[in-house]
Amino acid sequence: MIETLALVRDTFRESFARKIFWGFLGCSTALILVFLLALHIDLVEGAMAAVSVFGQSVDRGRLVEVDTVVKKLLGGVAAFLFSAGLFLSVFASAGLIPTVFEPGRIELLLSKPVSRTRLLLGRYLGTLAVIAANMAYLVLGVWIVLGAKTGVWHWSFLLSAALTVFCFAVILTIVLLVAVLSSSPALATMVAFFFLIVSPVLAQHARLAPLFNTQWPRDVVQGLYYLFPKVYDMGNMSRLALIERSVSSWIPLWSSAAFAVVTLAAGLWVFSRKDY
Amino acid sequence: MTAIIETDGLAKHFRSFWRRRVVRAVDGISLAVKPGAAFGLLGPNGSGKTTFVKLLLASVRPTAGRAMLFGRDCWDVAARRAVGYLPENHRFPTYNTGSQMLDFYAALSGMPRLERKRRATELLELVGLSDWGGVRIGKYSKGMLQRLGLAQAMMHRPKLLILDEPTDGVDPVGRREIRDILGALRREGVTIFLNSHLLGEVELFCDEVAIIRRGRVAAAGALAELTAASGYRLSADGVSDAVREELRRSAQQVAVKNGLVDFHFADREAANAALDRLRQSGSQIDSFTHVRSTLEEVFVRAVEESKEGA
Repeated sequence: MIETLALVRDTFRESFARKIFWGFLGCSTALILVFLLALHIDLVEGAMAAVSVFGQSVDRGRLVEVDTVVKKLLGGVAAFLFSAGLFLSVFASAGLIPTVFEPGRIELLLSKPVSRTRLLLGRYLGTLAVIAANMAYLVLGVWIVLGAKTGVWHWSFLLSAALTVFCFAVILTIVLLVAVLSSSPALATMVAFFFLIVSPVLAQHARLAPLFNTQWPRDVVQGLYYLFPKVYDMGNMSRLALIERSVSSWIPLWSSAAFAVVTLAAGLWVFSRKDY
Repeated sequence: MTAIIETDGLAKHFRSFWRRRVVRAVDGISLAVKPGAAFGLLGPNGSGKTTFVKLLLASVRPTAGRAMLFGRDCWDVAARRAVGYLPENHRFPTYNTGSQMLDFYAALSGMPRLERKRRATELLELVGLSDWGGVRIGKYSKGMLQRLGLAQAMMHRPKLLILDEPTDGVDPVGRREIRDILGALRREGVTIFLNSHLLGEVELFCDEVAIIRRGRVAAAGALAELTAASGYRLSADGVSDAVREELRRSAQQVAVKNGLVDFHFADREAANAALDRLRQSGSQIDSFTHVRSTLEEVFVRAVEESKEGA
């Protein structure tokens, strides 16, 4: 346990030194401050509200239901987290894993009485914790500010944030595998971005299939959809959770989890065999 | 008694990308390092020293043979528990301060927090960096990094220290201090495995050495034995031409320097017989010395011989 905690703490230190952590914290704080200072919600007769941002009415002076306003705002934050947030997280954290494999650093780590599996998992958990801590700060900050201003507390927003962290955990296994194979932060970032970009395309597999004349490309698209992590679908699940609608299929969640387990296991296996 | 380090036919062959060319970095090394020894690993550049150390510390998988630490396979995590290591060309993360770096690596060795804190203070003092513990490593000089690296290797009180060029970049005074620290550790029974190209350092500190060339052991043994009598030198004045020619038959070498005749004999018997003959002939003996080889001579000889044998 001492060893794993040391690895997690070391990842935090590196993220502090690279200003990754502070950059994220600054962006999150700015967003929270917008909600805290610029967003003005006047409650009228309890359930109705007039909303203004930077003094400008966003509903042209009409009264709207508080619940609807809060859901829209939280939906906006959730969408931000699932799109730009994920890209930023991958971009910011991709270097944290490959740096461990730098010559002169890895030899000393491997000489310690710690298994290679634990070394790599410790770094993976550290990176995940850096991003999760920042996401938790942003999500809780916005949730508390909006809750305090409106009296409406949407617990489903927290669930949607947890889903975002899960999604990042899945993508991070790709970063880990590519980093172990190539020791290149740039390549690890590129491959992770590829999976993020291709996800919304593959999510349309049912619409894409008829565009092909032959069967095999349809099978490939279908196969890739089920094989790859379903970031886009999980974003949809997060949206549905927010508007309190039931989820029609859990396939995106468990198939992405299965993908992460296989990718992580492959990364650990390659690392355990590799010469440094 | 179980050897602290034991390798048996240890080999590491690297293949090129297309698998056509094979580089035999380590090619069947069998060595044993006894507890409490100061062992020096020597070899020309590219001889396989660093790969050998990496094999010992499970950075690299062997192609053949095996390496044992404390009687356990070196790939067993427990085998590395009592090993301290200072790599060559280390790159300690510069975002840490000296104290944080010591704390991190000691934590990876499983040391409890309070003990780590106490030990870090103690070791920073020992290596002369007590004022630098709170400063980021990025600001350290090469010599300071070596001292810090040594402290890192000693943090968890290892029974075996593997040091790869420990005095690299350290000034002469610092080198002496490092030697003193290592000497104190030896007196406490710590086994020291020194990988260095500085023959003088090894000669001053080690009692056993192995010289490797092209991944194979070219010479190995106790330093005293390897550098043992390379002969006896007898220097005399007033040596007649007849006596000089007579002694030339049993001498390895005869030279005239500043009016004195220097004879070099391979063994003690020949040297003593020559001494008697010179006295009998009325020559004046100027000096009679037992000549030892330097480690450099042993090294060059071993490397040259292995070249001829290849």
